Amino acid sequence: MIYQFLNKLDEKLHFEQAQAHCDIPCGIYDPTPAQIDALTVVRMMDLMAELVKGEDKGNVAFHNSMERYVAVKEEHAEKAKNEIRVIWGDYFKKDKHPNVDDLVHKIMQLGSKVRQTADREAGLEFVAAINEFAEAFWKTKDVKTKKAKAPYAPALEMVYPDL
Amino acid sequence: MFRIHKVTGDSMSPDFQQGDFVLIATADFVRKRLKVGDVIIFEHKLYGTLIKRIASFDPETAEAYIEGTRHDSLSSLRLGTIRRDAIRGKVIVHISKP
Repeated sequence: MIYQFLNKLDEKLHFEQAQAHCDIPCGIYDPTPAQIDALTVVRMMDLMAELVKGEDKGNVAFHNSMERYVAVKEEHAEKAKNEIRVIWGDYFKKDKHPNVDDLVHKIMQLGSKVRQTADREAGLEFVAAINEFAEAFWKTKDVKTKKAKAPYAPALEMVYPDL
Repeated sequence: MFRIHKVTGDSMSPDFQQGDFVLIATADFVRKRLKVGDVIIFEHKLYGTLIKRIASFDPETAEAYIEGTRHDSLSSLRLGTIRRDAIRGKVIVHISKP
């Protein structure tokens, strides 16, 4: 009854609206870019390892390629960290997904390690941790996931939504 | 002292639904005694007049971090902290849409 009265009043007075806004674009989150970024990190590590095995060490071409691989590794490690931070901060709720905090912290640390080093094992751990995050994310959407090798180098096993 | 607002959007669902009315207290003494969990209406330079829940306060600036109820609600990561002078008031009465 009070509601009907206010509703009638609203038709005449037009109460100011308070928006319970959702994200723009509303609710579009996807961990896939972070997974691709993590794969790129490992790919750059592999290219760096191949390069130092070659015979052209020390020349300009060597340094040019190495600089580029390192720069791309840096960039994509940071991109992956940012993608995860946004999904974690804007999408996951602490009370509903308490275990995600530890996983995100692990991803942040691994993301820093793969920037600081060319440790492939750390790169693989980085990919695995982000896959685990993707699995947790899709579970919140009731979307089943499947594991399959990426169809491009470094062809690591990845978590994909089974849509 | 008091204002009535109509809620639009779903980010506070299921607590506040599209079409609900809220009565807010706008007095200074109410806005100075806000606590975590209070639902507030505030002004945002980009998004306009918003309704959200206070998640925490910055210990240094006393600015509010806010959150919605739903996963996809705009949170302080996107909106930034909310200054005290941007807060219009605290929701004291909620009239749900039947």
